[in-house]
Amino acid sequence: MRDIHSVCKESVYNKVYKDYNKAIWRFIYFKCGDTAQADDLVQDAFIKLWQNCKKVPLGKAKSYLYTLANNAFLNQVAHHKVVLKHRESVSDYTDNQSPEYLLEEKQFKQKLEKAIANLTEGQRTAFLLNRIEGKKYKEIAEYLGISVKAVEKRMSQALAALRKEIENI
Amino acid sequence: MKKNYILHKWLNNEPLTDDEKQQLNDSPEFASYIKIAEATSTFTTPEVNSEANFNAIKQKIAQEQTQNTKGNLFRNFIKIAAVFALVFISYQFLTSRSTTITTQVAQKETIVLPDESEILLNAQSQLTYNKKQWHKTRALTLQGEAYFKVTKGQKFSVKTPLGTVSVLGTHFNVYARENTFNVVCYEGLVRVALTDTVVNLPAGNTLQSQNGKILGLAKTSRTSPEWVSLQESTFENALLRDVIKELERQYKIKIIVTPNTLLNKRFTGSFTHTNLDIALQTVCKPLQLKYTINKDKVTIYEK
Repeated sequence: MRDIHSVCKESVYNKVYKDYNKAIWRFIYFKCGDTAQADDLVQDAFIKLWQNCKKVPLGKAKSYLYTLANNAFLNQVAHHKVVLKHRESVSDYTDNQSPEYLLEEKQFKQKLEKAIANLTEGQRTAFLLNRIEGKKYKEIAEYLGISVKAVEKRMSQALAALRKEIENI
Repeated sequence: MKKNYILHKWLNNEPLTDDEKQQLNDSPEFASYIKIAEATSTFTTPEVNSEANFNAIKQKIAQEQTQNTKGNLFRNFIKIAAVFALVFISYQFLTSRSTTITTQVAQKETIVLPDESEILLNAQSQLTYNKKQWHKTRALTLQGEAYFKVTKGQKFSVKTPLGTVSVLGTHFNVYARENTFNVVCYEGLVRVALTDTVVNLPAGNTLQSQNGKILGLAKTSRTSPEWVSLQESTFENALLRDVIKELERQYKIKIIVTPNTLLNKRFTGSFTHTNLDIALQTVCKPLQLKYTINKDKVTIYEK
């Protein structure tokens, strides 16, 4: 019975990878802003999962991966600026906006991107997990190993810092 | 505070009432927060190389597995080998630690073995035996001369370069120096194994051999060796060469004999271990020789 759901089984392991690899990659990317480093850490995390597959039940695999990635990141000192792409398709309700408005909007986004890159790692990760990944505070708290209150605090701080930077310029 | 709570509620994607929405929009601070938050939601990260990463993972896992199986086998082998080596070494160390007793010139030693057998070691002799193993095998090696009073028990053997003496429980003397191997049995029965012959020596008999060849059997009426009971060395038709050597062992002296040919004379008799002058006299007089003593140097010459 247990064997059917064991992560040691290749099909189960492959499914775990398929389900979580992107989210974990982005999670690390929010932290470090380096695609190569994110690739490495994702690979390391999944290799560790395979090596410890007997100790990690399927239900715990996801949080195990997040914890591994988080710890591995903390061990790597190098930080990079987070470079985000603008999603092209989300311009639905800007259809009938004036060119000035569109330009303004573009400038605003550029400023915002820069400001996000300047956030602290803790603030940025929480903020982007919530905004881009659409994660609830509770999930973020779990991934980062902190309390929901701490997530709230980071979110408030992130917003305040972003607003300050954007409106001052 | 209230507005902060509503903001978090909104960020957490929980439904807001119209009133709550209004509250947020009314404040320029919160309105800009929402603008920032909404704009950020339109961002995305670079594409994830899911497949490339997956292949890399598979490759690394495969690599590590081959390394691990090799490494594990080797490591396990090393571990087992180390344990065996340790057991072997400690066994060797514990069991083969033998006791060696050496006597110097003019020194005699009494040794009591674990089974209460008694050994009297004559001057300039060496005895080696294993205390730990003694109850299993009563065996020892001897170089020189020793008198054994063996308590009854299992086979007791004395190994010398020239032959082995085995007994069950007797009193006997073994003399093994250079090429001469003499055994005297005072009590019981002694089995003497030379290089190619085995002799059973009953009480009161003496076996003399040289280079593994039996020179002769003789009777003795004594119950213990002269060097033990009388503090004397006794010789039967022995070469002067051997007598001189015994003298040198019992006294701290160096003896020079001139001319050399004198060394082949034969001597029967004994000399004491307690007085050098008397000892020299008893050796020299019957052979019509003279001697002079100069500190620890003795010269023996013809009249």
